[in-house]
Formats: sequence, structure tokens, C-alpha cells
Amino acid sequence: MNRMSWRYRLGMNLANVLAICFLILPLVPVVLGSLQSERTLQEDVWALLPAEYTLDNFRLILSGGTNKGQAFQGIDYLPNSVTWFRNAFLNSVLVASSVTVLTLVLATLTALTVTRLKLRWTGYLMNATVISRMVPLIVLMLPLFVVMRQIGLLNTLPGIIMAEVGLLLPYAIIILVPYFQAFPKELEESARLDGCTRLASYLRIVVPLSTPALAACGVIIFIISWHELMIPLIIASKPEFMTLPVVLAGLVSDQFVFFTVMMAICLIGLAPTMLLVLLLQKYLVKGLTAGAVKG
Amino acid sequence: MTGQSKTAIGKTNSARRRRKELAPSWLALGMNVPTLICFVLILAYPIFFAGYLSFHEVGVRELRSGDYAFSGLANYIELFGDPVFWKSLRNTILFVVVSVLLEVVIGLAIALVINENRIQLSRVTKFLILVPWAVPPIVNGFLWAFIFNTQFGYLNRLLYQLGLIDQQVIWLGNSSTAFMAIVIAYVWRTVPFNILLYHAALQGIPDHLYEAAELDRATRWEKFRYITLPLLRPILAVTLILRTTFAFMVFDEIFAITQGGPGNDTWVAAWYTYKTSFNPPFDIGVGAASAYVLALIVGVVAIAYVRYVYKKVEY
Repeated sequence: MNRMSWRYRLGMNLANVLAICFLILPLVPVVLGSLQSERTLQEDVWALLPAEYTLDNFRLILSGGTNKGQAFQGIDYLPNSVTWFRNAFLNSVLVASSVTVLTLVLATLTALTVTRLKLRWTGYLMNATVISRMVPLIVLMLPLFVVMRQIGLLNTLPGIIMAEVGLLLPYAIIILVPYFQAFPKELEESARLDGCTRLASYLRIVVPLSTPALAACGVIIFIISWHELMIPLIIASKPEFMTLPVVLAGLVSDQFVFFTVMMAICLIGLAPTMLLVLLLQKYLVKGLTAGAVKG
Repeated sequence: MTGQSKTAIGKTNSARRRRKELAPSWLALGMNVPTLICFVLILAYPIFFAGYLSFHEVGVRELRSGDYAFSGLANYIELFGDPVFWKSLRNTILFVVVSVLLEVVIGLAIALVINENRIQLSRVTKFLILVPWAVPPIVNGFLWAFIFNTQFGYLNRLLYQLGLIDQQVIWLGNSSTAFMAIVIAYVWRTVPFNILLYHAALQGIPDHLYEAAELDRATRWEKFRYITLPLLRPILAVTLILRTTFAFMVFDEIFAITQGGPGNDTWVAAWYTYKTSFNPPFDIGVGAASAYVLALIVGVVAIAYVRYVYKKVEY
């Protein structure tokens, strides 16, 4: 075990190369596709690398369809997804941030009661939380659609935010519980001896000292909310309330016309969460592991 | 003097505490009010309401007027009489079995690779394991739709450059390759989760077990078979439960890659519910019934897994 044979070393290195290819190779076409014009893509259907690179796709998208550049000269029809892109990006930022903050606050309160107070009914609550994580989303979507329609929250951002908070809350609780559980009781007790109420000892001692856990949980929630398609797809049917995944989904009918634009939009759409994941990888790994194993 | 002031402070503190401190049960209730409201409004009530809808006639007209006529089992009878529903269900189960199996095998393989930390390259691999997870599902769907596209797709380009094909292959126009395309896209996005959990579990296996096995001259395979695998059993069970329940809900990739096509050959349960409810004929009653059937299957699978697969492990 201590000394590796050259064969083992070679095999392991090859295995690593394979694993790396598996993980990042599928993203290469997105980059290559977004960096060429539709004409270049269609001229040579066998070429891996485009004959000519251009940033026109990104210019078109970021200008909301006004800056057509060379690649789009003479093209009148543009997919809705291009015109609504900036609006959808802002909606996504707004929705994902609100969902993150709200979910984090509610989940923290509940996770504290589950781990620090340990009553019988909070135990049941925790069981309900774990089970509700497995309810298929599609079951909730129909009634949510009907209810949101009745109370006038269809085609509003608050409607989307509410639904996503409800959906992600169980997961956030499951992620936070093991952290709070591992928190030493002595610190909290010494605060209580100094005259803190229970709630104050949580808010002043437990919560501030759990910042890394809260951050990890928050980022995970943000990412999942950024990725969510079905909820906003069903709640928002007007383009001004659509989030990025919904506007992207509108490309389904356009995919044969504008593959390169589609890949450019995809690249911008995946960039924020990709950055978060690569920068905060260590925290995310801890949060995701805790959320799956100890819940 | 000092002694006196100390006791005074002590008194006010304890008095304040007595006045303000809530009993734990009330405190717990107060802190859980927002969560409970959320659970009831967005989880519990909709689940029951979905059941209610599945026993009522709910279409466009009923949505507008707001009253739903009771229709007994009519929705379920219509659902079970619909061959497309059975086809969607068969597709879903096939999809779940194949993709969960692939997720476990690929996840375990990559976890074992990065667990060998004496190889420098494994640090790069470890850094990249979450990359597919960072891709939004709908984007993931489009990116694979582009790869598998017949005319301009990168799979055909790659295979041609490698000299494996000399004319374009129609991947998404053929039922079985379209199905595999969806499985590949889905597995690629979801496998990081498994890698992560297996990696964490592998790190938790104490070295002395392997050292003892080495004294007994165990081969690498024997060490894997008799030490690693049994100790991974709990985490394998956890991933099987979670991945199965999630695979049953696959939607985004279907939406982006095949839209259920060719024909209805890649319809799955969630797609069936979506199509019947939010596309003509907007039959939300039948949609709710189909969603309920799906939820029941997922529930049974989850219980069965917990009961029969999950075993406690001791180091």
C-alpha cells in the first residue's frame, strides 16, 4: 500500500484523465457553439473547431437584440428569449436572492428548535421534513397553480418566491440540523448563566458561530433556486415575470434556427452558478454531504 | 459595597429571566410558526388538494368558474384506460433503473479514483466534481440537444473526425437513441452528488482495516469487495433512495431534448402530467390523478428501500 507500482500509478492517472474528460468535455460544445456565427456552424458540418470566431452572439443577447453585429445582419426574426434575456436575468437574481434569505431565516429558526430544544413534536416535524423532501414536485404544481390562480399570485414574482421557499425549506432544514447538532452545548449554557434568554443565546452565540454552515446552505439554496424550471414555468406565463430557465425553455421552438445564440444564452445562464461552485467548492461539499447523510 | 452591587445585578438578571423566558414548548412553537405556515400552505395543503382535484372534473371552464363537479373515479378510469399513460410509466421505470444504476456505478468509480490522494492529478479531478451539478438542468438539456443534433451536433462531428461514421446519425429521431440521450444527459448532471457522498464515505473508512487486510495478503479486489463495499452499504442505500425518487421526477431534460418525442416514445410520468394539465385539452383532473399515482409509487419505493436495503454499519 505504501509503494505504488508503476502500473497502478499509470492506471490511476489514466482513470483521472477519463474522469476529468467526463466532467468537463460536455461543456466544450457550449463554448465553441457560442463563439461562432450560425453561418460558420452550418457551412462545415464536420468541423470540430469553427473556422471563424465571433462574439456577436453575446453582443446580441446582452443588448437585448438591438446590437445585431455582422452575424445577424439582415435577420429580422429573433427569438423572444433574446429580447427578454436581461429582464429574465434580473428576475432570476431577485427570485434566487429572496428565496435564499427567506429560506435561510425560516430554516435556521426551525433547525434550532429541532436540535437545541429537542421536544417530541419537533422530532415529528423533522420526520415530516425528511419525508416532504421526497414528494414529487409535479404533484404540488397542479394545486399550487390552482391556488395561486385563485389568490391572484399567478404571473407575479412573490408567487414564484413563495412556492420556491416552500419547496426548498425542507432541504435547508436537513442541511442545517447536523451543524447545529454538533454545536457544543457548553457555549450556549454559559450564555444562559449570564442571563441570556434561550432565544438570545441562539441568536447571539449559536447563529454567529455557525456562519460557514449558513453560508454553505445559502449558496446551495441559491443555486437550486437559480436552476428551478418547473415552478416559474407554471406560475409565470407572461414574459416580464419569467426567470432565466423559463426564458431559456422558450428556445425549444427556436433551437433549429439559432443554435449558436442558444449556446451563448446557456453559457451566460450557467456562469453565475458555475462561478459559485468553483469558488466555494469546499463549503458546498460539506453542506451537500451533511444534507444527504445525516438528515 | 462591591458585594452589594453584585447581588443586585444578579437579582435583576434572574428576575428578568423569570419574566421574559418562555417555556421551551412555547418558544419552539413561536420559532416554528413561519415554517409551519409554509409547510401547511405549500406542502401539506397542495398534497391533499391534488387528491381532491383528482376526484373532480377540472378543465379550463371549471378553472374559470371556480366550481369543480365531483366525478368520482372518472379521472382514474380515464387515466388507466390511456395507453400513453402506461407507456409513460414504463418509460419512467426504465429510465429510473438505468439512470440510477449508471449514477451509482460512475459515481463510485470516480469516487474511488479521487480517493487515491497520492496521485497528484486526483486533486484536479476533486476540484471539478461539482461542475456538472452547477449547470442548470434546462441548460443541461439544451447542451445535450446540441451535442446530439443530427446536422450540426458535436457528437456527429467528433465521430466523423475519429473516422467512425461517414454520414450523419439521427440520434434524437430514433426512440432508443433518444432515450439513451436523455439518460446520458440526466446522469451527467446528477452524478456529482453521488461522487460527493461516496467520497465522504470512503474518507470515513479507517486505515487500520486496510492495514490488517494487507497483513493477510489481501488483493486490491479483495480489499474492495470485503472492506470497502460492505462499509459503503449505508451510503449506497441513501443514494439509491434519493436518486430513485429524484429520477422519477425527471422533467427538464425531457423538455429540452426530446419534448417527449419521437412521437411519444420518451414520455415519462412528469411529462405526462405536464402535458395533460397545461397543454390542450388542459385536463387538470386527469393530470392530478397521474401525479398522485407517481407520488404513491415514489412513496412505496422509498419505504421499501428504507426497510430492506438500509442496514446499520459498525466500524
